[in-house]
Amino acid sequence: MSITNEIPPHAIERLRGLRNEGHPGGIFTSDFSVNEFLLVRKAGFEPVGLCVGTCVYHVGIQYGSWGKNQELEVLSQAMYHARELAMTRMREEAREMGADGIVGVQLTVKRLEWSTEVLEFIAIGTGVVHAEGHTGFKGPNGQPFTSDLSGQDFWTLLHAGYRPLEMVMGSCVYHVAHQGFFRSMGNVGKNTELTNFSQALYDAREIAMERMQHEAIEAGAEGVVGVDLHEGSHAWQAHVIEFFAVGTAVKPISTEQDASAIPDPQLVLSVNN
Amino acid sequence: MGWLGNLLGGSAGSGAPSDAAAARSAEWEQALQSRTLPSFVEARLEAAASGRTPWLSTMTPIELAMVRRHGIRPVAMVSGTCWYHYGYSWTRGHAAGWHAALDRLRAEALAAGAHAVVDVKLRTIDLDVGDSMDFTVIGTAVRIEGLAKPTVPVIATVPALEFVRLLRSGIVPTGIAIGAQYDILSPAVDLTGSGLFRGWRNQPLTELGQFWESIRRFALAELKDDARRQGNGVLAHTHFGQLFKIERDKQPPQFLGRHIVVGTVVHDRPSAANAPIEISTVVDMRDDESPLLSPRPHGHNAYPVDDEEDGPI
Repeated sequence: MSITNEIPPHAIERLRGLRNEGHPGGIFTSDFSVNEFLLVRKAGFEPVGLCVGTCVYHVGIQYGSWGKNQELEVLSQAMYHARELAMTRMREEAREMGADGIVGVQLTVKRLEWSTEVLEFIAIGTGVVHAEGHTGFKGPNGQPFTSDLSGQDFWTLLHAGYRPLEMVMGSCVYHVAHQGFFRSMGNVGKNTELTNFSQALYDAREIAMERMQHEAIEAGAEGVVGVDLHEGSHAWQAHVIEFFAVGTAVKPISTEQDASAIPDPQLVLSVNN
Repeated sequence: MGWLGNLLGGSAGSGAPSDAAAARSAEWEQALQSRTLPSFVEARLEAAASGRTPWLSTMTPIELAMVRRHGIRPVAMVSGTCWYHYGYSWTRGHAAGWHAALDRLRAEALAAGAHAVVDVKLRTIDLDVGDSMDFTVIGTAVRIEGLAKPTVPVIATVPALEFVRLLRSGIVPTGIAIGAQYDILSPAVDLTGSGLFRGWRNQPLTELGQFWESIRRFALAELKDDARRQGNGVLAHTHFGQLFKIERDKQPPQFLGRHIVVGTVVHDRPSAANAPIEISTVVDMRDDESPLLSPRPHGHNAYPVDDEEDGPI
């Protein structure tokens, strides 16, 4: 994956200009809302610049056998590898601008008009640095941390005594078996479970979850917050479904905060209408 | 990226499932038949329960902070899936599908040593296979510090933040209740047709109205019965109903009505009703859509709508 480490010179130039390597006084760019910006600052961080990583990926072809439940490894691998490349490039950009991490990462997949096999993966987020130069907030291996939490959630997470490590993901593209004609005829007029399908969905979700957990273990996380598990089919043949799990791996800031130190939120009732 | 390496070095590209995949599949089959969990699922949940692996949770940071504040810890994400074919009855099939999925979720929660599962979502995937559907429930298993090892975990559709708020007010969420009913009305005359007099007059369609009402009443009664076994109240309903007109040859059209209601059962102790809750009132000065006023997305995707109302009356 050597290509991921190469950033064009003009991009580096742009990054330097943005914020004189993380020192105040320069100009920063970010997709923060005003509230997010204020909360990130309140949490002791300063935005440095918008970090982007993209990857246009040709997804190979693999067909599932008509009547078989099976993972389509070629597709699983493609979907994961492409996302990983986009994320790595984004992180590379963050490292170049001296960011401690990236918050508000949005990871999107786009199908390109002219082909069903080419997908564009985009990772975008705002690079931030600790205002007092604290270096303890970096992610695994001294890399910038990544997190899909919003500025608000970032502030809350730090107040709960945790820091983000990295976005962890797991992907599994699965072919759900078709039902044979005789088998479906046998079910006409009956209320019954189709265990074959149950099994396929169970297995696919389990695999996606196991992979995400594996990443969390490697990152040295205590846990993963905000896990989102969703299904998608990117114009593949019918019955081919991707199960994708994504969340932010977190770790206690130093030692775990005593529970009583976490403040209770105040309940408010909006009386506008 | 360890597992990617395994994939690259493994059977990728061959198209045929490897021995490991076949063994996995056999285990699933066995587990679904004997109502147990495959060994690898059990191992994952046990590792999470003992703290050897990171916990997984759908909670947002504020939810994490709140549950920690009240001695609750996330353990793992647990799910239950049942793909159910409703050849004989859509309604009974939906009720049976959800019940089966919930049983499996409960089994996973128990394996994770969890006292409760919060933020349980009713989900389905977008794959059209005849008269059948995927019934999936998925949520975050949590453990409450200082409580003995659980025997039956509590299942709650409410998110962690609301779960904690209920507990603080002395209300214990205890499970999920389901009520479903369908019926077919075969009237002797065309109930909606433009008969000689009907077309011009304002009038209630009594027979159809009663029919539809009886379906709803029955579904709600079943919900109540299901809830009675678990607690003394139901909150956070998701309900879905449809009324179809079925045209018939040389006979007046039939009507098929179906209604399904799913909610979180709570056990409310009257003594706790006086627990002090301090609420301040605020006036939000925003002119555009305010986060204080807009409803939160509920995350269920199993039914297209949360209620049938088309708009304000």
